[in-house]
Amino acid sequence: MKPRYAPYFFLAPFFALFGVFMVYPLFDSIRLSTYSVRGMRNQTFVGLENIERLIADPLFWTALWNTAYFAAGSLLLQLPVALALALLLSNARLKGRNLFRLSFFSPVLISGVFIAVIFYLLYDRRYGLVNRVLGSEIPWLQDPDLVMPALVLAGVWRWAGFNMVYFLAGLQSIRQELYEAAAVDGAGPWQSFVHVTIPALKPVIAFVVITSMIGSFQLFDLPYVLTEGGPGNASMTMVMYLYKHGFEFINLGYAATIGWALAVIIGVISIIQVRLFGVFREN
Amino acid sequence: MSHLGKAPLIFGLLFLLAFPVIVFRGDDRSDTLEFWIFAQTHYDEFSARIPAFEAAHPGVKVELRLISKLHDKLLAAFLSGIGGPDLSEVEISSVGRFFKGTKEEIGFVDLTDRIEREGISDEFVQARLAPWSLEGRVYGLPRDVHPVMLLYRHDAYEDAGIDPKSIETWDDFVRETRPLARDEDADGRPDRYPIMLSAHKPGHFWLLLLQNGGGMFDENGGIIIDNDIAVATLEFYCSLLNEEQLAIPEFSQDPASYAAMKEGVILGVLAPDWYISFARRFVPELEGKWRAMPLPAWRVGERRTSTWGGTMIAVTKQAENPDLAWEFAKFAYMDDEALANRYRKTFIIPPIRSAWSNPVYTEPEAYLDGQVLGKSLTELAPHIPGFHLNPYWAEANDLLRQAVYEAANGIRTPADALSHLAEQVRALRNNSTETE
Repeated sequence: MKPRYAPYFFLAPFFALFGVFMVYPLFDSIRLSTYSVRGMRNQTFVGLENIERLIADPLFWTALWNTAYFAAGSLLLQLPVALALALLLSNARLKGRNLFRLSFFSPVLISGVFIAVIFYLLYDRRYGLVNRVLGSEIPWLQDPDLVMPALVLAGVWRWAGFNMVYFLAGLQSIRQELYEAAAVDGAGPWQSFVHVTIPALKPVIAFVVITSMIGSFQLFDLPYVLTEGGPGNASMTMVMYLYKHGFEFINLGYAATIGWALAVIIGVISIIQVRLFGVFREN
Repeated sequence: MSHLGKAPLIFGLLFLLAFPVIVFRGDDRSDTLEFWIFAQTHYDEFSARIPAFEAAHPGVKVELRLISKLHDKLLAAFLSGIGGPDLSEVEISSVGRFFKGTKEEIGFVDLTDRIEREGISDEFVQARLAPWSLEGRVYGLPRDVHPVMLLYRHDAYEDAGIDPKSIETWDDFVRETRPLARDEDADGRPDRYPIMLSAHKPGHFWLLLLQNGGGMFDENGGIIIDNDIAVATLEFYCSLLNEEQLAIPEFSQDPASYAAMKEGVILGVLAPDWYISFARRFVPELEGKWRAMPLPAWRVGERRTSTWGGTMIAVTKQAENPDLAWEFAKFAYMDDEALANRYRKTFIIPPIRSAWSNPVYTEPEAYLDGQVLGKSLTELAPHIPGFHLNPYWAEANDLLRQAVYEAANGIRTPADALSHLAEQVRALRNNSTETE
């Protein structure tokens, strides 16, 4: 074997697996989205009918709205909390900050199913810790208006510590001289935060916002275990809806269509975010 | 290529070694049975039994696998045509997804002829074969019957002067238990409830509907979920939750329900056999205070039970030795002593009539103040209602959840909710027929 072929030889196993498990399913799912699938193997070509059905399907729009709600909640609540924690725990004068860092990070090490079970107990109307603390009997998981906020809060608990680590890494890379220069210019803590910290963190913020948005649109395990999409369909997410059609109703054609709709939505939002943050733009 | 050293040679040798293992692996696995199950309790039960089967069948090995997300993985195996077990258990709430499409596409072996040929059909409670049957063909052996009783607080009934024997019908239940639902703190809601029903899930409604003679589909595949029986059942169900305020909405998770039982907030539960063992395990404080009575009938002299939950064992079409798999299925599900042991731990009544003569079913149960629970359950077991599986079962069952939620929470009237559900199932069926 000639030396110039050697890299291809070593890369071949990866590409073989990537082709079989990623590329082929990707293209086959496009084909599948143009079929009506009934039963294990009975497929009928229907062209764009699945897309027409998707557009007219009120439950799809409910699932999209719920997913977007969770994504917006993640963006507006989770990321500020993560940044605030990072700022707090980057303070060298704080005692035991490594312990706090580990504590806030640890929820991400726990499986989503287990987290859902814990929040099941926390949110219980009569005996849950949340209502006990509030002295109320709020039906967090039974009220269609409250179930999504309850899921967002559970998401904050799960992911804020994880994103905090990114912000911490970003904060540690900001040169101290910038703060010193700002102080010489008369900047207070808030002005330093706005004019030094935020601009310097922009690449990290961009990364965290984009990955959080993608992760939020793929939400599945938390509502699947916690609410089963209920009450009614008030917490049905797009991936849950896809799963339902793919693995409960065995309607793989429609599930593939939902999957591609999700991919397009995530793609468009990601492109917009990349443009807004100026990622890949020089300087 | 000298700068790469011996790496390519080692890679090549590993490939040559691995290739035949992958390509020619396990050509003959006809003496091995792979058996998938989804519950730890089932694992414990079968792992104790398998050595006896292997001893009786020299050379045979049974590989018991406790599989998480079993139903998804089994379905994936059926869709791909490879990777499935020889035998698998399937839980009743997931059964619909395996019976889509034509008979040829069903991933389980049709057991009807074997069951008839060996004369074991009559041994089973017939209604218990129905959930695993489609168009008259049986695809699995039932593990259980799961007759439902009303678990009630005997001490509370005594204090209120209620004679359980006076409760023969659901109307009697409403009249007799009304004094239990007192509002002593004047907050507009009772402090105690004679029964717990779900306002978000269909399980309780479904078992009451079956008891009343209703269902989702009739034997010909006709949609009957919007008929008079279904509407009357759902109206009664909603009235218990809302107008009558005799039913407390089910809690979000069992631990909360158990806490409410301990506090004396819940005085009655629709309890299949397995649920009574859950109460014994998780609410031991109430030992001696509970008793179980047959469900109140919808009309005098009619059925006093229903059924809730269930599991089957099935031989898959990927089994290399279906005859051996069938032998194991019978061994696993039909051994008298194993069934008696299961009852001791779980109160689960077997679906085999001959097994009910075992003395274990006449033993008094301390948790129920000495009541002979096994006798009550086996007396009710032959009367459980059946239901008809259908290729649209999975979708219809999902829509039922929405209908019960809407009716119980006043979003639609019971008649509207069920009518809407039936329309959706009909539209689903019509659309599928058109694309075919």
